[in-house]
Amino acid sequence: MADQFPTLAQCAVVATSLKVLLWPAYKSTDFEVHRNWLAITHSLPIDKWYFEETSEWTLDYPPFFAHFEWVLGRIARYVDAAMLQINNLEYDSWQTIHFQRATVILTELMLVYSLYAFVRSSPAATKKQAHAVALSLLLSPALLIIDHIHFQYNGFMYGVLIWSIVLARKKSTLLLSGIMFAVLLCFKHIYLYLAPAYFAFLLRTYCLGPRSVFDIKFANCIKLGVSIAAVFALAFGPFVYWEQMPQVLARLFPFSRGLCHAYWAPNVWAIYSFSDRILIYPQIPALLKLFLQPSWDNFVATLTLCGYASFLFGWHVHEKAILLVIVPFSLIALKDRRYFGAFRPLAVAGHVSLFPLLFTVQEFPAKTVYTLVWLIAFLLTFDKLVPASEKPRVFLLDRFSLLYTALAVPLMVYTSLLHHMIFGAKYEFLPLMFTSSYCAIGVVGSWLSFSVVHFTA
Amino acid sequence: MSTPSHRPRKKSRASEVHAATSNGSITLDATSSRERPAFPLAAFFWPTKGVPTSSWVILSSILMITGLFRWTTGFWPYSGRARPPMHGDFEAQRHWMELTIHLPVTHWYFHDLEWWGLDYPPLTAYHSWICGQIGSLLNPDWFALYLSRGNDDHGVKVFMRATVIISEYLIYTPAAVICVRQLGRMHNINPWESSIALTALLMQPATILIDHGHFQYNTVMLGFTLASIASLYAGRRLWSCVFFVCALGFKQMALFYAPAIAAYLAGSCVFPRLNLPRLVGIAIITLASFALLFLPLLLGTAFATYRSLPLPATATPPPLLASLPALLSSEKSTLYPYITQLLQAVHRIFPFARGLFEDKVANIWCFVHSTGLHKLSAYSASTLSRASLLLTLASITPPCALLFLAPRPQVLAPALATTAWGFFLCGFQVHEKNVLLPLLPLTLLLAGKDGMKPSDRGWVGYANVLAAFTLFPLLKRDQLRIPYFVLTGLWSWLLALPPTSLSIFFGSTARSGEEAELHWTSKILHLGTYAAMIAWHVVEAFVETPEGKQDLWVVANVSIGAAGFGLCYLWCLWQSVVASGLLDRTSGQTAKKTQ
Repeated sequence: MADQFPTLAQCAVVATSLKVLLWPAYKSTDFEVHRNWLAITHSLPIDKWYFEETSEWTLDYPPFFAHFEWVLGRIARYVDAAMLQINNLEYDSWQTIHFQRATVILTELMLVYSLYAFVRSSPAATKKQAHAVALSLLLSPALLIIDHIHFQYNGFMYGVLIWSIVLARKKSTLLLSGIMFAVLLCFKHIYLYLAPAYFAFLLRTYCLGPRSVFDIKFANCIKLGVSIAAVFALAFGPFVYWEQMPQVLARLFPFSRGLCHAYWAPNVWAIYSFSDRILIYPQIPALLKLFLQPSWDNFVATLTLCGYASFLFGWHVHEKAILLVIVPFSLIALKDRRYFGAFRPLAVAGHVSLFPLLFTVQEFPAKTVYTLVWLIAFLLTFDKLVPASEKPRVFLLDRFSLLYTALAVPLMVYTSLLHHMIFGAKYEFLPLMFTSSYCAIGVVGSWLSFSVVHFTA
Repeated sequence: MSTPSHRPRKKSRASEVHAATSNGSITLDATSSRERPAFPLAAFFWPTKGVPTSSWVILSSILMITGLFRWTTGFWPYSGRARPPMHGDFEAQRHWMELTIHLPVTHWYFHDLEWWGLDYPPLTAYHSWICGQIGSLLNPDWFALYLSRGNDDHGVKVFMRATVIISEYLIYTPAAVICVRQLGRMHNINPWESSIALTALLMQPATILIDHGHFQYNTVMLGFTLASIASLYAGRRLWSCVFFVCALGFKQMALFYAPAIAAYLAGSCVFPRLNLPRLVGIAIITLASFALLFLPLLLGTAFATYRSLPLPATATPPPLLASLPALLSSEKSTLYPYITQLLQAVHRIFPFARGLFEDKVANIWCFVHSTGLHKLSAYSASTLSRASLLLTLASITPPCALLFLAPRPQVLAPALATTAWGFFLCGFQVHEKNVLLPLLPLTLLLAGKDGMKPSDRGWVGYANVLAAFTLFPLLKRDQLRIPYFVLTGLWSWLLALPPTSLSIFFGSTARSGEEAELHWTSKILHLGTYAAMIAWHVVEAFVETPEGKQDLWVVANVSIGAAGFGLCYLWCLWQSVVASGLLDRTSGQTAKKTQ
C-alpha cells in the first residue's frame, strides 16, 4: 500500500486545483436547478417543498437530497443570502458560483473516501490494480465534465454507491451495504435501476443460508427489512403523513404525470409499461446467475449489466447515465484481459458521448484534452496491469476496439471543426447524430462483449 | 500502480546506478530503506520509473496537463476587463492587433499614442498582425478599427487566450523541452528525472498567472531566450544569436539577459584562445538578424513612400531625430522616412521619459523610496537614471565577468539569473511582471545537477513563491486571487515546499548528503520570509489599511519581496561562482555551498 504512487490523496490535490480553476467555466441550467432547490428548502417548510413551482426547475429529487440542500442553505446564508430567495431566478453572483462549485468539490470527498475503502478492501494480490482503478475513477473525465463544469453532485452520489458496494464485500457489513443503498435511493432515485442486483444479492447472501435456498435466515430478513423500511420511513414518512405522496411521486417520476392527464394517457402508459418490461427481461439471466453464484465479483458484474440495461433500453435516458455503467464496471475492469477488452470501447464511447453536454468554445479544449490524457494514461496503465485471461478470447475484440478508438479522432475533428467549415450552421443535427451513433456502437459493442465474458466466465 | 523496484530486472538495476547520480527526485525511506519520491511531483512520475514507457507518451501527457492548467487559468478575468476608460494589458494587445491589420506599416508606431500606442519591438507587431488576421477571419467585429476599443466580448477573450497558449506551445514549450534535455545530458541526469524538472518548469505559477491570467505574451520572449540558451548548451552560438535577437525583437525586456549572453559569447571567442572567425561570425549573424527583424517595417515604409502615404496628422517627429546630422534628418533626404520609422520605434520602445519605477515593484528604488528610508522625489530624473545605471552595472559586472572569464555552459543559467536579478533590483523602469525574467534561468537549475535536492529546490522554490507573492497586488486588481492561491499553492505542494510542507527544513534526507542540504542561515532566512508572507496575507485579508496610507500593505509586500530577491541575487551569484569552477582552482578544495 505504501508503495502505490501517486496516492489517492495526491491525485485529489491536483484534481482539486484544476476543479477550482474551472469555477468560472460554463455551467448548465442544472446550476440554476440546484440554486433553486437551495432557495426552496431554505425558505419553505418541508410540507411545501414538493409544491413550490415559481421556477420551472421544481424539486424532483427524493427527500434526502432536499435535506442535503437544506444543510447547504444553512451555510449559504453566510456567503450570499440573495441566492436563497425563491424569486431570484437565474441568480448567479460570483459568490453563488463559488459556493455551489465548492460544495461539489467538498462533497466529492465522499468518493475519495469510498475509493480509499475500496483499495483497502481489495486482496493483496490485486491491490495494485485496485489502486489504478481507484485513481481512474477519482480522476474520471465523466465526473469532471458532469459535476465540475456542467454542474451536478454525482461525485458525492457515486461515492455513496461505491461505499455501499465495498461494504457488500464482507459478510459482516452486508446489512450496512443494504442500508447505504437505501439511503442512496432516497438521495437520487436513478439508482433504482441498480436495485434488482442489490435485491438478488442481498436476498441470496444475507437472507438465505449459504448452503441451500431453503435455509431462510429470518433474523436477517427482519433486520434488513426493518432497516430499509426505517430509511424509507425517515425519508418519505412525513410526506405520507401529510398525504403528499402522490405529489412527491409525480415529481420524482414525471412520466407518470401523463397518467393523470387523461387525454394522452394511453400513449404514455403504453411507452412506460413497455420500457419498464424491456428493462427487466434482459436482466433476468444475469440476476439468476447472481442468485446461483453470489460472489462479490458477480454482484458488481450484475450491477454493471443493470447499468447497461438502463442506459441502452431505459426510457428518457440522459447521456449522464453512462456513469451507471462506467462506475461499477471500472471496479472489475482489471479482473482479466477479457473484461478489460470489453471495458476499453466503453471508456472511449462513454466519455465521448458526454462531449455534447458542453458545446461552448472555451470548454472544448478542456474537455477533449482532459479526456485524451485520461484515456492515454489509464488505458496504458491498465494494459500493463491487467492479468491474462485463463480462457481464450471470444472475438477479435482487440482489433475492433483499436479501430474503434482510432475513429474517435476524425469524429472529433469533424464534429468540432469540419462540419462548421463545410455546412456552416446548416444540418446541425449531423454532428450530434454521428456522435450518438458512434457512442451507441461502442456502448452496445462493449455490452455484448461484456455479456459474453460474464456468462461464459 | 507499478513499482518496478520489486522486479529483479537489469533495467531497474541500471536505474539504481543512475539514482546514485540522481538530481534529488528520489529519497530513501529512513525506516524501510525503500526508495520514495522526494516530493509529490515525483510521485506522479513513479509509475513510469524504470518501466519502459514511450517518451512521447510521457512528454505529450506533461504538455497536455500543464496546458490544461494554463487554459483553465484563462477562464478567469484578465487585466482591465470591463474597466473603462483605459482597460488594461489585454486591451493593449487586442488594440495592437486591431491597428496592425488595418493601418499601413508607417502608422504602427505613430497611431493614437494615447490609446495604448504600440511600444513593443517589431516582432510583437508582426505577431499581432498574424493574430489579428486570423481573428478577423473568425469575427471581424473583434478587431474593427476604432469600433472595437474596449471590446469585452467573451468570444474575443477566448480567441486572445488561445493566441497566448498557441504562441507559447509553438515557441516556449519546445524550447523548454530541448533546453531541459540539453541540461540533463550535460549533467548526466536520467530522462525520468528530467521530465520531472520539465514539469516543474512548466508549472511555474508566476508565468502562468501573468500570461494566462493577467494577459501578456511573455512566454514568447522567454521561449526565444530558452531557445537561445539551449543553442548555447548545444554549442550552436550562431543560432543562439538569432534566437536572442528574436527575444529582444519581441520584448525589449530581454535586455535583462543581454549583458550575460554577450559576455558568454565574447568569452567563448577569447578563452581558451582567441577565435577571431567565431567573433566575426557572431557579429555578422547578430547584425543580419537585427536587419531581418526591421526589414518588414522598412519594406512597409518603402511601399508607403512609393504610394506617398502621409503619417497620421497627430504624428510628431521622434525627438531623437534632432540629434542626427542634418543630412539624414532633413525631410528631403531619401532616407528620411526610414530613419523616422526606426527612431520612432526606438523612442516608443525605450521610454526614457517615464519614471524610475512604475507602480510598486519589489526593487531597491521602490523599497528605499516607499518605505521612507530615503525619499527619491527630491532628485532629478537624470540623477536617478544615472544612479540606477551605475548600480545596475555594479550588480551585473560580477556575473558577466565570470561568464566572460569562464565561459562554461554550466555557469550560464545561474549567471543569467544573477544578471536579471541585478537589472530587476537596480534597473530603471522596472515592472513587477519583469520578475519572470530572473525566475526562468533560476528555475532551470532544477534540471541541473542536484537541482531537486533540498538546497537548490529550496532556493528555486523560495524565489518562485516570493515572486508570485509580489505579483499578488496586481493579480488581486485583476480578480485573480483564487488562481493565485491555487497555482502557487499547487506548485509549492508539488515540490514539497512551504507553506504546504516543511520537509526541506526538517525532513530527514538520509542519503542525499549534507552538501545538498540548506545551510542553517538559509533555513532561518527562508522560514522568516515564508512566515512574513503568510502574516502579510492574513493582515491584508482582514485588516484595513490605516487612514491616509492606502498603499501600506503593498509597500509591505514590496519590501518583503525586495529583501528576498536581494538574497536570491546573492545566492545566484554564489551559484555562478561555484559553477565557474573558480573556487576549485584557487583553493583546490570543493566549494561548500553556504547561502
